[in-house]
Amino acid sequence: MKLTIERAALLKALGHVQSVVERRNTIPILSNVLLRGADGKLALSATDMDIEMISAVPAQGAKTGGTTVPAHTLYDITRKLPEGAQVLLELGSDKGQMTLRSGRSTFTLACLPAEDYPVMSGSDLAHNFTISAADLKRLIDRTRFAISTEETRYYLNGIYLHAAKSNDVNMLRAVATDGHRLARMELPLPDGAAGMPGVIVPRKAVGELRKLLDEFDQDVAVSLSDTKIRFAFGDSTVLTSKLIDGTFPDYDRVIPTGNDKVLEVECKSFAAAVDRVSTISSEKSRAVKLAIERNSLTLSATSPENGTASEEIEVRYSASPIEIGFNSRYLLDITEQIEGEGAKFVMADAASPTLVRDATDGSALYVLMPMRV
Amino acid sequence: MAIRQLPAIVVNRIAAGEVVERPAAAVKELVENAIDAGARRIEVTLRDGGASLILVSDDGDGMDAVEVALAVERHCTSKLPDDDLLHIRTLGFRGEALPSIGAVSRLSIVSRKRGAADAFKVAVEGGSKSAVEPAALSQGTRVEVRDLFYATPARLKFLKSVRAERDAAVDAVERLAMAYPSIAFTVVGDEEKPLVRMTAAEPDLAGKSADDIRRARLGAILGRDFADNALAIDAVREGFRLTGFAGLPILNRATARDQYLFVNGRPVRDKLLAGAVRGAYQDVLARDRHPMVVLFLDGPEADIDVNVHPAKAEVRFRDAALVRGLIVGALRNALAAAGHRASTTVAEQALAAARPMVWTQGGAALALNPGFAEAAAPYQAPLAQSPPAARAVEAPAPAATAHPLGAACAQLHETYIVAQTADGLVIVDQHAAHERLVYERMKAEIAATGVKRQILLIPEVVELDPADAARLAARATELAELGLVLEAFGPGAVVVREVPALLGETDVKGLARDLADEVAELGGALSLKERLEEVCGTIACHGSVRAGRRLNQAEMNALLRQMEATPHSGQCNHGRPTYVALSRAEIEKLFGRR
Ligand SMILES: Nc1ncnc2c1ncn2[C@@H]1O[C@H](COP(=O)(O)OP(=O)(O)O)[C@@H](O)[C@H]1O
Ligand SMILES: [Mg+2]
Repeated sequence: MKLTIERAALLKALGHVQSVVERRNTIPILSNVLLRGADGKLALSATDMDIEMISAVPAQGAKTGGTTVPAHTLYDITRKLPEGAQVLLELGSDKGQMTLRSGRSTFTLACLPAEDYPVMSGSDLAHNFTISAADLKRLIDRTRFAISTEETRYYLNGIYLHAAKSNDVNMLRAVATDGHRLARMELPLPDGAAGMPGVIVPRKAVGELRKLLDEFDQDVAVSLSDTKIRFAFGDSTVLTSKLIDGTFPDYDRVIPTGNDKVLEVECKSFAAAVDRVSTISSEKSRAVKLAIERNSLTLSATSPENGTASEEIEVRYSASPIEIGFNSRYLLDITEQIEGEGAKFVMADAASPTLVRDATDGSALYVLMPMRV
Repeated sequence: MAIRQLPAIVVNRIAAGEVVERPAAAVKELVENAIDAGARRIEVTLRDGGASLILVSDDGDGMDAVEVALAVERHCTSKLPDDDLLHIRTLGFRGEALPSIGAVSRLSIVSRKRGAADAFKVAVEGGSKSAVEPAALSQGTRVEVRDLFYATPARLKFLKSVRAERDAAVDAVERLAMAYPSIAFTVVGDEEKPLVRMTAAEPDLAGKSADDIRRARLGAILGRDFADNALAIDAVREGFRLTGFAGLPILNRATARDQYLFVNGRPVRDKLLAGAVRGAYQDVLARDRHPMVVLFLDGPEADIDVNVHPAKAEVRFRDAALVRGLIVGALRNALAAAGHRASTTVAEQALAAARPMVWTQGGAALALNPGFAEAAAPYQAPLAQSPPAARAVEAPAPAATAHPLGAACAQLHETYIVAQTADGLVIVDQHAAHERLVYERMKAEIAATGVKRQILLIPEVVELDPADAARLAARATELAELGLVLEAFGPGAVVVREVPALLGETDVKGLARDLADEVAELGGALSLKERLEEVCGTIACHGSVRAGRRLNQAEMNALLRQMEATPHSGQCNHGRPTYVALSRAEIEKLFGRR
């Protein structure tokens, strides 16, 4: 293998793949990135055995072949090369070392054989559809904050992606919950997704995917089976991830349908008021109380140590008065997701799930469980 | 095969297997008999750790010819006059010990009934009894056990080293001695010097109280540290009385071995004690450290079943919750009242470390104790050249030194506060002290406002075995006060509906299982409280004044005054002292003035 690559292209590709590589590894080869040259391209790939990221860059040079070198080292070297530089990669004849040359700098890196590098097979991904980067972004952003971090409930440690019917229309849904709150986002089901199994995409893969979505705005080709999912951005970058092997709870049961107390707030000013009032609560739980009566909402918080806070804001409300407590962090997480001007809270009582929606956009829905304060 | 009645010899050997599994067990039984006989002086001799000879003599009531003969018969006892197993006041009651020992050794008993003219002797060898014959003995009873287990060679093989068997025997005697300070005990082993020698003491008019005598006896057994750093306990609840001593948290151990419970004078092992002690000390001691306690529980015999264990080492309480509550409450009260006692052990360690020094020309210190000089040199050398790290403040006003923790004089290394008290000086670790203050304040806050609860959107069903599930459900009210709301869910599960908001997203299943284990084992739900307090502890640690922060005199004095006003401020959350006090007398000792 002997190839010349633009530094900028190499850096970008390495940026994608190296973040999959764990800093500490008990299996030495997993600290490495796999390099394969072929047909005017260099394909870089890395894996932690759960996620595989492949990124290809244009390269000049004839000889094909491959090797693996320490990922973080190669990334750091490339980062420190001057802008506009050309990088020459050459595999030594005994394949034990790779030489990197750029300008007057020369590095030799220890290699491990390419044949030993674990590769995720993607031949059995039977379900295929295309989705725009913007839609995929929304599916992730609206739900990601509610992913559970509690490892004993591994089946909640990701986003549940599945096909479902809303008012007789086929939808692609993303759902996440940590057992205290739930977020659900849906879009019309893309062609080809009908019949796909419900899958749980793990948190780390969600994070890596979200980073890629910041850089690409083309359509994303999604393929999946019930054990793996793959996201392909053109033919340059491909992310494949194993899925969480578990059953996502029957979340429909916790979405209330009979709530009748409707509160409409101006989202930005509501969030700002919650943030202000919660300053006073000293604890980690940061509870705020909402006292709601006709067209008026009083937010309050108390702390025996710091004192009390309260703030009244104008709202639209015409049901019977109610007092209800929430974790202010949870309220803010939700209001952050609402892009429209208004947010709608639909409540039953102080001990039952409350439904929250964007007043103008019905595609996302949030369920929040109150706190006893 | 035909069913037949086993011969007496075999029956006795089977019983012996349960009652005397090693020499220490025989020693315990014989000493108990002497105590039951009203002895004032008990002497024990051991050869080869008791394997070749155990000799126990006492000056008790003794036996006449008929009694001596009966004593070695199975199920013969003088201690159940009304056949009433519900009112047992003596250590023995089954009439099993002597025949069991006789079945597996060469046993001989010489005894002289109090006031009688003659003594009598009986011998048993491998289960067969000799005729009673006259013998010579001035008073009491003398029991000789030779070649224990010679009749059961299998058992003999299981004996540990002479030393281990001897230590176990000494341990058994000491355990009994703790409860009977008015009896003198001696144990002599193969060496000339006695292994144990404890004189008898009685409360007297000269002002020695029963407490003083007990404290002295416990000091002789557990060490002077314990006698000097233990709080007296005395509490009563529904016919039960708890007395004894609770070690200060600073006097802690890596295991729970030094926790003793005596029920109506009988040393027992009981899980209930471990749980109650852990519950009482959880505020003041790290989870992996154990305090030293010696507790004497006296109560109505009818409420305590002593007939549950072959070696009588366990008892069963009719109302275990009552006993547990009594122990936890009494220990807690004592600890709260003692909030300000710094351990004398700590002060003594400080004195030992502060050896007089000789300064050499190079500035390095040479201590008179060579080991210490090596360790100290690297620390001392730079100090000699650099300006002193202490920042002195104005001499304290005389009124301020009247406070228990005195008036701040200086801050050392921006970590320690030195204060002058009416009778000496106090050194405070500012971080540990402040951490404790913040922690106590957070706890008070939780106590005042209750634990806020997050309701679960998806309630957690936790599968448990039916007994555990029932036990946990029975504690639902107590758990709800701590922020955990659960209820029974079918026979083998509970459903958790609300959790303490302070814990954030937590492993609910794991928590419920831990709690079920604890309720079963210890009779209380400690780990939930501990988890809440751990969160408080972490927050407290982050919210408190660090080592390395400069404090002015007003700040230092404010800290001292707050410590005086806060319970438990003498230890940090982990049981380390927050301050050490040196009395003037101790300082004078340092300089050889005393
Ligand atoms: N040292 C002793 N002094 C006086 N009487 C004794 C002594 N040891 C044993 N006895 C008598 O022998 C009886 C049997 O003793 P033992 O087998 O230990 O049974 P227990 O102690 O359960 O009664 C006792 O009840 C007591 O009357
Ligand atoms: Mg006995």
